[in-house]
Amino acid sequence: MPKLPTANSPKVAIFVDDKEVLVPGDTNLLEALKTVGIETPHICYHPYLPVSGNCRQCLVEQEGPRGRMLIIACFTPVTPGMKIYTPASSARVKNARQATSEFMLVNHPLDCPICDKAGECSLQENYMESAHQSRLRPEVGKQYHGNPDHTFVDSKGQVRGGKRVALGPRVTLDEERCVQCDRCVRFMRHVAKDEQLQLASRGDHTYITTFPGEKLDHEYDLCVTDICPVGALTANHFRFQQRTWLLSRTPSISMDDSLGANIWIDHNNGKIWRIMPRCNPEVNRSWLSNTSRLAYMGFTENRLASGDLNIVSDLLKHAKKVALVAGGACTLEDLAALKMLKDYLGDRASLFGGTLRPVLEADGISKSGDPLANRAGFKALGIPDNNLNDLMKHAADYDVLLTVHNDLFGDDEGAMILKKIPNRVILSAFNDETSKDATLVCGVNHWSEVTGSMINSLNILQKLSPAPTCPDAQLKPAYEVLSTLAGNPLTSAIAALQKVQEFVPALKPYSYENIRSTGVKLDGVLL
Amino acid sequence: MKKVQGAVHFVANNKLSFERGPSPVELYPTPADQLGHHKKVQPQPTMEEILPKLETPAMKARIADLLSRYPEAQGALLEVLWLVQEALGWVPREGIRYAAKVCGCSPAHAFGVATFYTMYKHAPTGRFLLQFCRNICCEQKGASNIIAYTEKALNIKTGETTPDGLFTILQVECLGACGFGPVMLVNDDFATNAKDGKLTMIPGETLTPEHVDNILRWCYAREKEFKNEPVRDALGGSVAGHLGHPGAPGASAVAQIFDYAPPSPVLGLKAVSKETGVVLTWKGAPEFTRLVVEREEGGSWKEIGEPSVKDKEFTDPNGRSGMNYRMIATSGDRVAKPSKEEKAV
Amino acid sequence: MAEKIKVCTGNFGKGAQDIAVYKKLGGYANISSRLFDLSQFEVIDLVQRSGLRGRGGAGFPTGLKWSFVPRNTGKPVYIVVNADEGEPGTFKDHFLMIEDPHRLIEGLIIAGWALGSRTAYIYVRGEFLPCIESLNKAISQAYAEGLLGKNIGGTKFSFDIFVHRGAGAYICGEETALINSLEGQKGQPRLKPPFPAVSGAWKSPTCVNNVETLMALPWIFQNSPEAYAALGTASAGGTKVFCVSGDVKRTGVYEAPLGTPVMELLTSSEYACGIDGTLKGVIPGGSSCPVLLPEECEKATLDYECMSCFKTMFGSGAVMPFNTTRDVVVLLNTLGNFYSHESCGQCTPCREGTGYAKRIINSILNGEGHDGDLELLLSLSDQYNGTTICPLAPALGAPMTAFIKKYRSEFEAYIEKNPNHGSPRICATYRPGAFW
Repeated sequence: MPKLPTANSPKVAIFVDDKEVLVPGDTNLLEALKTVGIETPHICYHPYLPVSGNCRQCLVEQEGPRGRMLIIACFTPVTPGMKIYTPASSARVKNARQATSEFMLVNHPLDCPICDKAGECSLQENYMESAHQSRLRPEVGKQYHGNPDHTFVDSKGQVRGGKRVALGPRVTLDEERCVQCDRCVRFMRHVAKDEQLQLASRGDHTYITTFPGEKLDHEYDLCVTDICPVGALTANHFRFQQRTWLLSRTPSISMDDSLGANIWIDHNNGKIWRIMPRCNPEVNRSWLSNTSRLAYMGFTENRLASGDLNIVSDLLKHAKKVALVAGGACTLEDLAALKMLKDYLGDRASLFGGTLRPVLEADGISKSGDPLANRAGFKALGIPDNNLNDLMKHAADYDVLLTVHNDLFGDDEGAMILKKIPNRVILSAFNDETSKDATLVCGVNHWSEVTGSMINSLNILQKLSPAPTCPDAQLKPAYEVLSTLAGNPLTSAIAALQKVQEFVPALKPYSYENIRSTGVKLDGVLL
Repeated sequence: MKKVQGAVHFVANNKLSFERGPSPVELYPTPADQLGHHKKVQPQPTMEEILPKLETPAMKARIADLLSRYPEAQGALLEVLWLVQEALGWVPREGIRYAAKVCGCSPAHAFGVATFYTMYKHAPTGRFLLQFCRNICCEQKGASNIIAYTEKALNIKTGETTPDGLFTILQVECLGACGFGPVMLVNDDFATNAKDGKLTMIPGETLTPEHVDNILRWCYAREKEFKNEPVRDALGGSVAGHLGHPGAPGASAVAQIFDYAPPSPVLGLKAVSKETGVVLTWKGAPEFTRLVVEREEGGSWKEIGEPSVKDKEFTDPNGRSGMNYRMIATSGDRVAKPSKEEKAV
Repeated sequence: MAEKIKVCTGNFGKGAQDIAVYKKLGGYANISSRLFDLSQFEVIDLVQRSGLRGRGGAGFPTGLKWSFVPRNTGKPVYIVVNADEGEPGTFKDHFLMIEDPHRLIEGLIIAGWALGSRTAYIYVRGEFLPCIESLNKAISQAYAEGLLGKNIGGTKFSFDIFVHRGAGAYICGEETALINSLEGQKGQPRLKPPFPAVSGAWKSPTCVNNVETLMALPWIFQNSPEAYAALGTASAGGTKVFCVSGDVKRTGVYEAPLGTPVMELLTSSEYACGIDGTLKGVIPGGSSCPVLLPEECEKATLDYECMSCFKTMFGSGAVMPFNTTRDVVVLLNTLGNFYSHESCGQCTPCREGTGYAKRIINSILNGEGHDGDLELLLSLSDQYNGTTICPLAPALGAPMTAFIKKYRSEFEAYIEKNPNHGSPRICATYRPGAFW
């Protein structure tokens, strides 16, 4: 894996286009140039994959003992005093990059109008940078747009031609668009550690394939569609759904795992079209598991309508002993509101928390295996994170159960014992197993629709942003519902965060404005 | 124009074979285009069908030998694929999977390797695989005429197999016998002629139509002589002394014992008399840990200095031209023999 | 006088495949008598003094290459013999290995001693099964005689040689590709650094040498490095095995000192005995070297410096003359086919560019060329230079440029066969601006 610059990287002076600049000294040239605002086009380089250096797009010139040589920026370590020439001053570099771009397009179909990657394709970006004055001319037999006979299915004089190859249950390959950068191969080999993909054959006949007859099938296989720089590997669930430039992106956190993978929620017209990993070097890097990625399909289905809070509040008023149960997808704000409710009910209420789902091993990529996403947040607020068994043991003592974002019955059959509690109030986004058996249900917003914050297993405070995709405008976030029950409605997330800060003074310095998109490391603050 | 259907139908000798419309620019079939059965889906045997041929005691012994030759099992992948091809006549998919299992790599990796190299056959061929070189030297001397002649004589095209299953013609790139060009390989043997029941390649004889006829006749005669083509050891036969390793098994990952060779003496000692005295220069070696300069005085050697191992020269201020010098190097705890004596000039 | 000395090919035709014969001819004498008294440093120094340069094509000084290999680090050191002889026109190693396998083994033992290597692999290209058989037989004999194996000659030195069969990939002649292939991967060149001398096969120090380079060692030992250096030119010592193919009276493998004039090699009765027909051009060092015109051949001598004066390369010593009846477009077409077929598919300019060049040349040959195609090919060749990991694409670019520049009229004659050669090179049905 390439070494990436950090805040602690030593600064060294190098000469770029004869100007002296200070760059991080412990990284490669491509990353170093990026830190001083020089973008180097690249196809095969990916910061979280081993360098393979095969696309030859990131060429720069270096002054060396044998004169100025073309080198690839992604593989060249920064050395103090090195002299680098970029296209800004070197016609040779400009030509070489242009040539590489053109070479890539020799066997590329240029079917951007029907390509799902259009808008986020490296080839398109590089083309704008360098190759728009193409010198290569079309070959005989090669058909281009503008040609009325263009049918999109012929091979256009190309050497590769597998179209719509079902590479696996979730991924489709269009071979003619492939530029053989081998990112997907390296991902499967070095990150997923399961070498299911390989480049077969050689020369310009090289093509991506699994072992014939086998399918690409892995928990992280959809990552190959993210890192594919062109439209060769596409995700079945997003194929021909939306043009990428029509999507709005909301940065959020996947609340199904305590690592809290950073995600983009891509949506328009109130509908989520896909979830993409959002790069966070310390958390999930550029990866996202299929489970987290495909979960969006259920976000708007099987939802609960908002309930009548007066009945709930009435019930709570007359309850003798109330069990308040927090679940996995609770944000810090929800937990603070729950705590308010506990304080409001006084001794009659006890707090419970945790999940009945099995806690698995961390996979080292984007999952810690712990389904209680905000476990660190539970600890920070002093809410028990693992005492559901106590509740089940003493179920008979309680007459009201109130759960927030916790599908107890769906997670474990053993929880059915809680049916002993006569009044079961469920605050949940979904009409899940627990809601079906409830005496009172009260629909709330899903985590993808709320502003909030959470602390992940690495003790990083991360924020969730709301995607405007809620199917029912009446729905409210769980913290609002809970605080209303507690008699002190928090009508905004900011107010809820302030409540959190009341409970946890250590979080005082943070607001939604100053929690960075990659989160804030709480080292020395909590735990 | 025909639609490109799905994907990879079949990979023959490295060639992704998909259906596509005629392209006006492909003049020759590439060697990879060939290996017969163009646009035909190659039926693949199952693992159960090929295992009896692969898991013989002899095969197991050879694979074990091969694996012991490399520090990592994957090193033997090419060789195991050769053995699979020897046993089955070609490399079917399951054969690749078998090789991958033996060598501890993923089947996809082995598939990539097996399709990268052109000599693994991804489809069965005729009993005699005739590979014609059509590279620059052979082409210059008329390879295309020879190929056309052979195609006509056997009534098949390049890449096809005769109906009797005897011959397959391939055009390949340089075979490495350019001086004899045009040349061909009959299975694994170079041939420009056949004489006295043998394939020959002797200087001055190149492939001509008559020679091709001779070679074809040799093939027919051989077919009568042997019912099946005798299997030629794909790896040139096992080596006596290699089997089970003359050294320890897995000798390949072992370093040489460090003190097998005598320690290095100082080489290239030169002594030049200058105004400041005698200046000594020599060639340093990275293993030196200590250097001693000695001067001859009255028939015996006397130590006069100890330059650092990084030094390039040493000056003896008391030296005069005509004095004898030598140096003694130490590497670790081993003292080398003295360097050649050098008279200062 | 000097012509009589044969460093590598001295045992040709004498039945030296058998160890007894080889020993009678003076073989393995160094191993028993001198080698084991020398330190590693002395052996390397000896090779450096001989001026021996790598015979595979690049011509890197062998002694210098050896001195880069770290010694006694506790890591295994591998010696890999590059017998993946695939350059069109080159066939010397093929016959060196068949005729005199023991000399290679002797050279390997010397190299093993110098580098502190325990294991050597001979990577033989897949087509050379006869060579592999010859080598395996020789290695068996050497084991039986105690020249290989554990504690050779009673010293602490142990040495094993394995033959590795390649499977058909020209690119494996590049040393890092060869190492990848040895490791059971696709033969794709690696990024450098690290260089193989530091981290090669299985991340251990590795030295890759050509067959002919190693086969010169026994002679250097038996005689002296100075004697070897005296055979050649000032900057490169010794003799070279030349492969003469193409239009000469007697093709074959000839050993001649470096600095021999091209025409002497082609016309001398000792060597190729004269040109068949009228000389039109000579490719001096294997297919990737730019072609020389007859008038250049008159002046050129076969050594590294002179060849670079003529903007070509000494390469692997494959001399390929062709006469006036040969069509250069056909010749270039075979090169286009070859290099596009042998591109490993890693770097974009080579992967896509060689195939593109091939198709353009194909169409010129097919009478479908267009005006401007030659400029296009020349600019392609420009774009191969320095943009790839290994020099395979430039190896097509250099001869392509030379062929087009030196025989331009013939290419133009082909292009004029196309009745529409004046029109741009695009699809006939393409109508610019039809949609927008």
